[in-house]
Amino acid sequence: AADKIRLIPQDFLAELCEQIMQHLNHKIPGINTAELCQRIQTSGVDINIGDLAKIANTLSFLFSTAARNNLSTEELVTTLGSGVSTLPKHAVQVIRHVWNEQGKAIAVSEDAGNMATVGQFVDMKWKLGVAMSSDTCRSLKYPYVTVTLKVADPSGQITDKSFEMTIPQFKNFFRQFKEMASVLETV
Amino acid sequence: MAAPEPQPEGSRSLSALLSGIAQAAFHGNADITEELLRDQLYPEAPPEEFRALRAKMGGLLQSIASADMDLNQLEAFLTAQTKKQGGITPDQAAVIAKFWKNHRTQIHESLVSQSRWDHGLKNMSWRVDLKSQLRHIDQINTPVAIVEMELGKNGQESEFLCLEFDEAKVSQMLKKLSEIEESMTLLTQAT
Repeated sequence: AADKIRLIPQDFLAELCEQIMQHLNHKIPGINTAELCQRIQTSGVDINIGDLAKIANTLSFLFSTAARNNLSTEELVTTLGSGVSTLPKHAVQVIRHVWNEQGKAIAVSEDAGNMATVGQFVDMKWKLGVAMSSDTCRSLKYPYVTVTLKVADPSGQITDKSFEMTIPQFKNFFRQFKEMASVLETV
Repeated sequence: MAAPEPQPEGSRSLSALLSGIAQAAFHGNADITEELLRDQLYPEAPPEEFRALRAKMGGLLQSIASADMDLNQLEAFLTAQTKKQGGITPDQAAVIAKFWKNHRTQIHESLVSQSRWDHGLKNMSWRVDLKSQLRHIDQINTPVAIVEMELGKNGQESEFLCLEFDEAKVSQMLKKLSEIEESMTLLTQAT
């Protein structure tokens, strides 16, 4: 992944770092790796989403560690130099610049431990369908709801999770969220 | 082909036969074999005769289930079968009709689940936490809902999705769910 970072054009790298910083500052729920990857690929760079995700994770870890240890810009650059010697010059420049501008503002979270497995709900798409017929039954006429949840995982990557619900399942799902809303109101 | 005797006993055997066929064909019960059915229900019948009976009843049940026949369609269908050469007797038609009335929903549900091969929502649970960490000034003492969803396909290991929703996100979700419900109402009105 350290090698792949040299493939990313400077302005895309700056954008990635920006998103990472915003995520660490709780301004955005997650980093839109898929969208960014697509644009980078369109610009002619051969990088896949797995590599980009690894790079995002590494940079995220770098910035949050730096925040926790209250590193100054010089200290951060020194750390970079000693650790990953193959980091290209333009990458160091971007990281240095981003940290200089926004590093002080990051509030360090102490609950990083138990947040490890919980993702953030970002958005939801849905469609309502009726399965008319199948190879085992000509007259199926089965209505169902397909839901796609946009989720930001703990590291900040945004992914889609899709699943199907029968009408009774959907009604229960709806009911549960109504209950959640009323509990949240009274707490 | 000789039809089984149209007495109460015959009805019971036929009813049980239909149950057995349904178990094997729609509910995936592989233990219900032809031999088992014959031994249990028609021990006196010669094998070829039983085979023919089973095949005929199986075929009828298959047609009825595939079309998910309502009572009108069923009556028309069975009446036609009684008039056919090598068809069924009126008593057999009565037994089949009664069986379908009692098992239609169950069998249809089984067929529906056979055609669901994307991730389904198997289970869902949630709790509300009070976030008390000073992570960001405006997040002191905010209640959040933690929702765990079990997603899975038939016969595969489940994936657990654990998500956090604050009050705003829950509202967002509720709005979308209302939209779905509205669409569903329109759908059921139209069909």
